[in-house]
Amino acid sequence: MSSRIHRIVPYLFVLPPLILLAVFVYGPAFENVIFSLHSWSSINPDWEFVGLRNYRQLFANPVFWVSLSNNTLYAVISVIVQVFVALGIAAVLSAGIFRPRLNTFFRTSVFLPAILPVTVVGLLWQLIYQPSIGLIDQFLFSTGLGNLSRVWLGEEQTAIYAIILVSQWQWTGYMVALFMVAIAAIPTDLYEALEMEGATRIQQFRYVTLPGVRESTLIFTVITIFGAFKVFDIVWVMTAGGPNRASEVLGTHMYRSAFRDDVVGYSSAVATVIFVITICVGIVQLMLQRDE
Amino acid sequence: MRHHRVTALAMITLFGSAAFSVALADTTINFLHKWPEPENMAYFEPAVEAFETANPDIDVEMEAVADEPYKDKIRVLMASRQVPDVFFSWSGEFGKNFARGGRAYDITDYVYDGEWEKVFPEAALQPFKFEGRLYGVPINVDAKFMLYNTSVFEEHGIEVPETFDDLLAVCATLNEAGVVPINFGNQFPWAASHYIGEIIAKLVPNDVRTADYALTRPADELYTHTGYVEALTAFQQLNDEGCFNRGSNALTHPIARGSFLAGRGAMIYMQMVEFGRISGSPIDESGWDFFTLPAFSDGAGDPGIITGAPDGFMISSETENIDEAIQFLKFLTTPEQAKQYVDITGMTSSVKGAVTAENADERVLQGLKYLDAASGLALWLDTDMDARSTEVLLAGAQGIIGGTETPEGVMEEVRHTAKLVQQER
Repeated sequence: MSSRIHRIVPYLFVLPPLILLAVFVYGPAFENVIFSLHSWSSINPDWEFVGLRNYRQLFANPVFWVSLSNNTLYAVISVIVQVFVALGIAAVLSAGIFRPRLNTFFRTSVFLPAILPVTVVGLLWQLIYQPSIGLIDQFLFSTGLGNLSRVWLGEEQTAIYAIILVSQWQWTGYMVALFMVAIAAIPTDLYEALEMEGATRIQQFRYVTLPGVRESTLIFTVITIFGAFKVFDIVWVMTAGGPNRASEVLGTHMYRSAFRDDVVGYSSAVATVIFVITICVGIVQLMLQRDE
Repeated sequence: MRHHRVTALAMITLFGSAAFSVALADTTINFLHKWPEPENMAYFEPAVEAFETANPDIDVEMEAVADEPYKDKIRVLMASRQVPDVFFSWSGEFGKNFARGGRAYDITDYVYDGEWEKVFPEAALQPFKFEGRLYGVPINVDAKFMLYNTSVFEEHGIEVPETFDDLLAVCATLNEAGVVPINFGNQFPWAASHYIGEIIAKLVPNDVRTADYALTRPADELYTHTGYVEALTAFQQLNDEGCFNRGSNALTHPIARGSFLAGRGAMIYMQMVEFGRISGSPIDESGWDFFTLPAFSDGAGDPGIITGAPDGFMISSETENIDEAIQFLKFLTTPEQAKQYVDITGMTSSVKGAVTAENADERVLQGLKYLDAASGLALWLDTDMDARSTEVLLAGAQGIIGGTETPEGVMEEVRHTAKLVQQER
């Protein structure tokens, strides 16, 4: 009797979160797939089953491919900066190179943007990027580099890069803080041992820090890629996907389809694609972790 | 002990008054509009209070969100079946969409009751009609004009342009003098839609244009009139010949307006409801006036048409309080309330006789005269065309400014999208 209770109890503990997940995550995700097989709008309540038509339209729409490539660009740059550059900064700040007060100053400085709301950051950088009157243009013109001036958010070639840069500015510090925690968990005697062997700081980083944060790096990479494929707010605030859809990402494409174009079935198809991409990234992460 | 008594008394009073107020307000009507700015809420809040005082059995729950988010919010509410009893709507296709989907109440018989309809000019009711039935009550009427800095015009010996070519010549003169000809912020491309909408109306015959917007022409004829490409070409000319400030795709309209008001530009295409913002600005001191966007010498459309439209309110088809909602709208459109509306907000009113020399700026009265003299109204393009084709056209307008799209290419995409929407309708 008691062994049966012992077997059941863990399931009872897991049950409430499972129910919540089923109701608020898996249920809506499944419902979204059903939505995507229908043609319907928020205004017209009539539903029409259209099979895979929304997906065919989606894959034939050049804006979808622009969005997907922007998300990919976002992911690649974010992984380079927010994972690898952040790891480098975290290693430097954790190595005790600077005096403690200076160290605290640097750590706070890089972390500070992460506590600002995305909308505030977007509006702030919109002003910095303003043509002619913005901080960047003012700097370029006052230093005789006016010929480098661009309409950063208003040109199709530069808009997405300008937004990605802001994202890196905001989130790299946050990742630095996470890496510093991961580095702090590495036993210090490993560093001491290497130091006694005469290893340089770069060698210590190569042979102790990197293997020590491998697991964290994998998780942070996956989180960053998730974030890059789900990005919406900063793009919507800064350019609303413009000009001419050049900075559109899957999130803004989905939103515009649902709330501007009023094609909710199509929008659900975009959401399904985002879901599939993030699921794939998640599966790759699980496989890599299993290999570990 | 004494504290307990005071607390108990306070609780009884609190619950008692709550129960009393619940007993007083039998019916609640939800009211959603798109004027959350303090100067506008300064009218709506007292108006709602006055209505509630006059009708103690009706409680009005008011909510307001700004222009751009309103377009999203109302759709979310529609989809989630939480449509407010009374909600704002632009006239034209935006409102017709609600009528077509059966989400707006057919209020024809309520308005045309022999009395209420006399309050409005018929021209203000017309854009709220769908298949001959009325679905909205207009609250104000707005129009778009080209404002100019009179000192700058005088300084450079510039006359008000009478044709589109004259306008291009004015831009050239101003550019030579190192003055930004037109302040233009097109980050949210509805700004371009107002230019393009009016130019289209001047270059495409009215019946063709309205049938294209309503998607009632045969699929292979949709948006095929040459006037559309000509209109986008004219817009491209404005950009390419330096009429607009640098980086218009990265500037919002309020920033462009700020530049004009600060005297950093010679002209701006602006709505009459924005006239109130000029007061006290540098441009107010240096002097300003306005003209309608000039016509084309050989346009196939209506040269006397101007961009403008009434804004108004609709009632949800799912409302359980139709009589109270009608009562509320009747209250808002009484001559007294309409005058208050003009007094406080500085906007125009669609109620006859509400805008007078006593309560409105002379420029607003002049604008209304232009409206009266206009041969027709081209409604806001972004609310007059179907939403999907509009999105394509507006993105294309940004592309034209950036030099990555051609007028022909944009219209090709618009045609393709319009056909899709027509098929699915």
